[in-house]
Amino acid sequence: MVYYLIICRSLTYAQRTAQVLERVGISGSVQRAPKLISKEGCGYCVRVAERRLTDALTVLRREGMAPKQVFLQTAEGEYSEVKP
Amino acid sequence: MIYFDSAATTLEKPRAVPRASAWAMTHLASPGRGGHAPGMGAADLMYQMREQAARLFHVGDPERVVLTYNATHGLNVAIHTLVKPGGTAVVSGYEHNAVTRPLHAIPGVTVKVAAGPLFDSDGVFAAFERAVTPEVDAVVCNHVSNAFGFIQPVDRIARLCRERGVPLIVDASQSAGTLDVDLEGWGAAFIAMPGHKGLYGPQGTGLLLCGGDAQPLLYGGTGSLSARQDMPGFLPDRLEAGTHNVCGAAGLLAGMKFVSRTGTARIHRHEQALARRMMDRLERVPGVTVFRGGENQSGLCSIVLDGMDCEEVGEELARRDIAVRAGLHCAPLAHRTAGTQDTGTVRFSFSAFNRPDQVDRAAAAVRALAGGAKR
Repeated sequence: MVYYLIICRSLTYAQRTAQVLERVGISGSVQRAPKLISKEGCGYCVRVAERRLTDALTVLRREGMAPKQVFLQTAEGEYSEVKP
Repeated sequence: MIYFDSAATTLEKPRAVPRASAWAMTHLASPGRGGHAPGMGAADLMYQMREQAARLFHVGDPERVVLTYNATHGLNVAIHTLVKPGGTAVVSGYEHNAVTRPLHAIPGVTVKVAAGPLFDSDGVFAAFERAVTPEVDAVVCNHVSNAFGFIQPVDRIARLCRERGVPLIVDASQSAGTLDVDLEGWGAAFIAMPGHKGLYGPQGTGLLLCGGDAQPLLYGGTGSLSARQDMPGFLPDRLEAGTHNVCGAAGLLAGMKFVSRTGTARIHRHEQALARRMMDRLERVPGVTVFRGGENQSGLCSIVLDGMDCEEVGEELARRDIAVRAGLHCAPLAHRTAGTQDTGTVRFSFSAFNRPDQVDRAAAAVRALAGGAKR
């Protein structure tokens, strides 16, 4: 499976992001951000399915919560930043 | 025992409160410190707690709800953020040492006291109108006096502060859980409150609601931006260094759910009715002075007995299994304003769990003491 990781500035912000998505039916799980992409140390992200990313970004922009960084997580466990 | 010291700490809690705290102790770990189930469970609980508080106190964003150790902790953060050495603060005449001592500790601060007569809302507001001038860095005002139950005109003071562009810090220690506390409506910079009084949470919990930026008092790990040495610039992490009191937060969440379910207005009416019952029974007793307001008095009754030291009254009532608080209530400024700094008062403060028959028994005990007092 391929996922997108929406990087969040804090755990609370990640929880809020997931909640906003949940309200419109987009499932997003809060998890620790992989060290490889979390350059400033411990961080959290919201993982969403590949097919829901566009909707998720639309909702988050509408709520004034546009993410600073989004990464693609491949089935092989590699990460690449995507420009939303 | 008859417990009438809820203005200090509510002793009887909803059953869900100790249950939630005990459960958290053995099932939840540290939020923001791991992706494992006990860590994420703690994170979920903390978020629920912030959301519950945000709903109760009109905070648009749960990130602006900060868990503190008590109201004093929150007030220290708020005061040190807004009032710098050499600055100026305005306080009401009914503030607690939780406000006046932090201000006193900042070098060179000028503290202007906007004092009005006890239970005179217009007089208090007029004092604020005179005191809030452009050089003022912050106004600090409690919503309800812990010594007398005087509900100060915070709505009007908040409007005044907005009009004059002066940040407002509200100490909601005696009102959270019984009156409407409204961060957004008031446009307050900060509202501080304890978790262990009217919110029925455990001791060691408090909330700071932040309307704007804040400076940390404590520095340390937050589980975020760990590679950097400065504190995160965002809330709540900026103000929550170190391991959270998760067990306390679990109890506080349960307490706030109880308050929301019961309704703050209903709790207020109940406590106010108990206070009025007590005042009705005591105000005609010879030798007893009752400090009585009207609608602007919360569920609290403060008295003085002629010829008896207030601490002696407290001791005598304790011997009869009636728990009250005597003295200056850590609010010497309030007693100075009310003219009771030399005598102190005996304070009866009520909770949602008190009953009218308890009031009657306590009033009878005071009547008996007053009858035997040396005058």
